[in-house]
Amino acid sequence: MKFFDHYHLPMTVNEALELLAQYDGRARVVAGGTDLLVDAQAEYYAGERPHYDALVDVTRIAGANQIHKQDGACPEQSEWIVIGCGVTHTQIVESRLIRKRATALAEACAVIGGPQVRNVATLCGNIAHALPAADGTVALMAMDAEVEVSSYQLSVVSNQSSVVSNQSSVVSNQSSVVSNQWYALSTLFKGPGKSAVDSTRELITAIRFRPLGAGEGSAFARVMRPQGVALPILGMAVRVETRDRRLEHVAISAGPVAPIPFRAKRTEGFLRGKILDDTVLQQAAQILVNEAQPRTSAHRATKEYRFELLPTLLKQTLRAAMERAVV
Amino acid sequence: MPMLNMSVNGKPVAVEIESNEYLASVLRYRLGLTGTKIGCDEAECGACTVLVNGMSVDSCIYPALKAQGASVLTIEGLAGTWTDGREDDRVGAVARPRPELGDHAAGDHEGAPLHPLQSQFIQQGAVQCGFCTPGVLMQSKDLLDHNPNPTDEDIKVALKDTFCRCGCYVSIMNAIKSAAKEIQGREGREGREGNEGIPNLPKTKTPLNVIGKPLPRQDAVAKVTGAAKYTDDYAFPEMLWGATLRAKYPHAKILNIETSKAQALPGVHAVLTHADVPGSKNHGLIFNDWPVLCYDKVRYQGDAVALVAADTREIAQRALDLISVEYAELPVVDDPVDALNPETIIVNDGAGHGNLLKHIHVEKGDVEKGFAEADVIVENEYHSPFYEHAFLEPECSIGRVLENGRIEVIVGSQIPYEDRRQIAAALDVPEAQVRVRGALIGGGFGGKEDIAAQIHVALLAKATGRPVKMLYSRHESLLFHPKRHATIIRVKTGAKRDGTLIASQATIYGDSGAYASLGDKVMTRAATHAAGPYNIPNVKIDCYAMYTNNPPAGAFRGFGVTQSCFAVESNMDELAPKLNIDPFELRRKNALTIGRTTSTGQIVRESAGLLECIRLVELEVRSWKLEVGKDAPSNIQHPTSKLGVSRRLSKTPDSAAARRTRARQRSKCLKMERLKCVRARRKSDRACRRF
Ligand SMILES: Cc1cc2nc3c(=O)[nH]c(=O)nc-3n(C[C@H](O)[C@H](O)[C@H](O)COP(=O)(O)OP(=O)(O)OC[C@H]3O[C@@H](n4cnc5c(N)ncnc54)[C@H](O)[C@@H]3O)c2cc1C
Ligand code: FES
Ligand code: FES
Repeated sequence: MKFFDHYHLPMTVNEALELLAQYDGRARVVAGGTDLLVDAQAEYYAGERPHYDALVDVTRIAGANQIHKQDGACPEQSEWIVIGCGVTHTQIVESRLIRKRATALAEACAVIGGPQVRNVATLCGNIAHALPAADGTVALMAMDAEVEVSSYQLSVVSNQSSVVSNQSSVVSNQSSVVSNQWYALSTLFKGPGKSAVDSTRELITAIRFRPLGAGEGSAFARVMRPQGVALPILGMAVRVETRDRRLEHVAISAGPVAPIPFRAKRTEGFLRGKILDDTVLQQAAQILVNEAQPRTSAHRATKEYRFELLPTLLKQTLRAAMERAVV
Repeated sequence: MPMLNMSVNGKPVAVEIESNEYLASVLRYRLGLTGTKIGCDEAECGACTVLVNGMSVDSCIYPALKAQGASVLTIEGLAGTWTDGREDDRVGAVARPRPELGDHAAGDHEGAPLHPLQSQFIQQGAVQCGFCTPGVLMQSKDLLDHNPNPTDEDIKVALKDTFCRCGCYVSIMNAIKSAAKEIQGREGREGREGNEGIPNLPKTKTPLNVIGKPLPRQDAVAKVTGAAKYTDDYAFPEMLWGATLRAKYPHAKILNIETSKAQALPGVHAVLTHADVPGSKNHGLIFNDWPVLCYDKVRYQGDAVALVAADTREIAQRALDLISVEYAELPVVDDPVDALNPETIIVNDGAGHGNLLKHIHVEKGDVEKGFAEADVIVENEYHSPFYEHAFLEPECSIGRVLENGRIEVIVGSQIPYEDRRQIAAALDVPEAQVRVRGALIGGGFGGKEDIAAQIHVALLAKATGRPVKMLYSRHESLLFHPKRHATIIRVKTGAKRDGTLIASQATIYGDSGAYASLGDKVMTRAATHAAGPYNIPNVKIDCYAMYTNNPPAGAFRGFGVTQSCFAVESNMDELAPKLNIDPFELRRKNALTIGRTTSTGQIVRESAGLLECIRLVELEVRSWKLEVGKDAPSNIQHPTSKLGVSRRLSKTPDSAAARRTRARQRSKCLKMERLKCVRARRKSDRACRRF
């Protein structure tokens, strides 16, 4: 069903923000549309009548479809990998940089949807949707990713705010202020499907994280029903930093085991400084089972089954990440 | 309306569209490129796959304006990317204008040689109903463009969300691999010369001069080029779109229907209710128990209450929201055993005995005596759920009044003559006044035997004097059409110590849902097959086909036998270890062979392929056991699983046998869940059928 009236393809962040401002909450950001457009349809059949005056497609914003390496602000964090809001899962999977230096993310994006979905769906859309089980989100949580949010404060609120009918007619308002702010990814989730980013007024313009170097490794794994659902029963990502086979630092993220994306802080704390062997793994798994709180979901799995999967996935991802770290 | 500029199949296109249209609808309805199909309209099935700037996308959820300035390649342009026996450079192929491709009409490839993928799909028999074919071909093209030498695993990953419900996956894989070779020039076209278009089929018989030879499939070329026409691919000048208001409740009295607001909506040409049905208020294949438009009450949520015809699909949908129906809810019957209880409210009295659509009784010998003589008895209860056909093409019908006053209905139906009878009765005209034109069917599997919109479009066409098309969304299709019967089957099997079956008793409850459809026929077959294909002297079977407020149940591949077979064979697998007999041996010992008598008293005189079937199944299953060691983990070793056998008496035992073999979980009451079957299948099969 048609649930929007206009479709805009702005070329700059400024233009996108201006459009959103002019529609004053009645327009919404869209990227690949594989969540938004499909969800709107499902809502329609559930008897709701979702409607937006316009969709603002952010994938053609200049530079948005790029993955690049950037120097950091301070010497000890010398570089970032930056992923623009137009970057698709296919691009991520095909990027040598990401496959090598953020393997977990490449693994996560590789299993999202099928090729047709991955060719249009974006990583930013995956996090903006704010689901605790979204695969890209789970991987990025383990990468300690940060997110750039751009918002636009009109200095003078335009009084012809009702309808913008022509996609290129918007005149840039010189006196407006664009604020670009980086946030830790983990701070952007308010609840299942609820993001702190208001996609009717703001824009995620990029995601960044530190590329892994020598002695570091990451891995992602998930268990999925074969048909009918877009989200996994359980997904897990792990990032490790090692020295002489000893775990210096561990990041473990899993979903869905809480209303928002989840980092297993206690399990991470336990593993820090340890050398991984069967006993340590077993103990870590027990701590993980204690701190995670999966629930039963109607179309995917029971709580009990998810509990059973936690140790299995932990073992799988930790081992894989370790192997990658020590080569 | 904004202008969309893009290149389609190498030709520049400028077309005015609505801002909220999707690429699939622009291609299909504005450019007439109907080769691109819509199966689900929600990015699940891949039927709508096209390439945009060389990348495959689901065009059903691809906003058309997103293609502004892009190069789009559809199935109609696929052959054009193959010239002089080689692949054009991929982007070049879509960007360069190709005047020889002619206009946008489907089928304009004529004369152009097929792309190797297209010819290999024909050659390898990868084309059945053909509805998935354009999407599968385009996704395969995307694969080969990026990976000229795909492995089996690569192909499965690439086709993960590109479904074929006819199940051609093995042939599709073969076709892709052969095409890859051909594209790389490793195997020229010459290799196939002389048998172009003739599918590679396994030899079953020594061919005679005419009979026994594979022939080219008549519609294969049309199906691989996008020229093949399914109902939604037809369009007529002035055509309106119809829509159906479905019931709000599974069981409720209709107190009042108010349509004036809908009628007043600009763009609406007709709003019809039961009062506008001139002839028979009900239709049905066996029993006339299914309202054309509900009048006294609704019996399931797929029930049709009112119809709209409007200028566009959107307006028709909006008009539905403006119809208000006043209901008084009734108790809901959702269980066939409850339905049989005399206290339970009557859902439908279609057959004249309340909720009981039909009681089928089969008896042979004396079961009491038989069980008394048995050394071992196994008794279990099995539940099987509703199954959805999920044919890839949702239901579509077009109705129009011809110049001579006759009504024409175009529909991809499995039984067009029955459609004609039912349309004529509802319209109160002689059958000769109704012409049903069969369009290609994008999969049916039994699910396109009942009336869907055939009568509705005829009524709307008569009311408006204009052609009217009704196309169900996948959601509406799932809601509306009859399913495979959910059943509860209690089976008791008795055997002598040496493995001879001596008695079998079964009680079956079949949930036939709100309307009879083919329910009594399907359940009759479930009953007559509930002793299995075995020689058993004492048999007693009672089957109850029941009306409930669930979706109707009707024909579905296997026609009731599937459910009985599941129950009977599960019992056989439990019996074998109790008798300490190999499960194959147990079946062989009791197999119906020529000269023996079925439980309905029929003497088998020919076509008894069971022993051969068991032999082939055994061969295959034994070979799995060998694989267990290297290809672990196998469910055969799984502590809660065991080796089991399932079979079907069939005239062509070899094909059926292989498919029906599976290892089964042991449990008292099994649900026939697909998930379990999937788990039991071998790895290769599993990855290939992820839908
Ligand atoms: C068949 C199918 C299978 C799928 N399988 C999986 C799967 O296995 N795993 C998985 O995790 N997901 C899956 N998905 C869901 C979906 O594809 C992903 O979540 C995808 O990454 C969403 O990205 P998008 O660009 O399509 O987002 P969109 O649908 O365009 O947007 C999603 C939400 O984010 C907002 N948004 C998008 N971009 C921005 C931005 N830059 N700034 C602010 N807000 C923004 C939108 O307003 C919307 O609310 C599947 C979807 C389909 C249809
Ligand atoms: S994916 Fe588009 S029609 Fe199914
Ligand atoms: S041939 Fe694939 S769905 Fe029919």
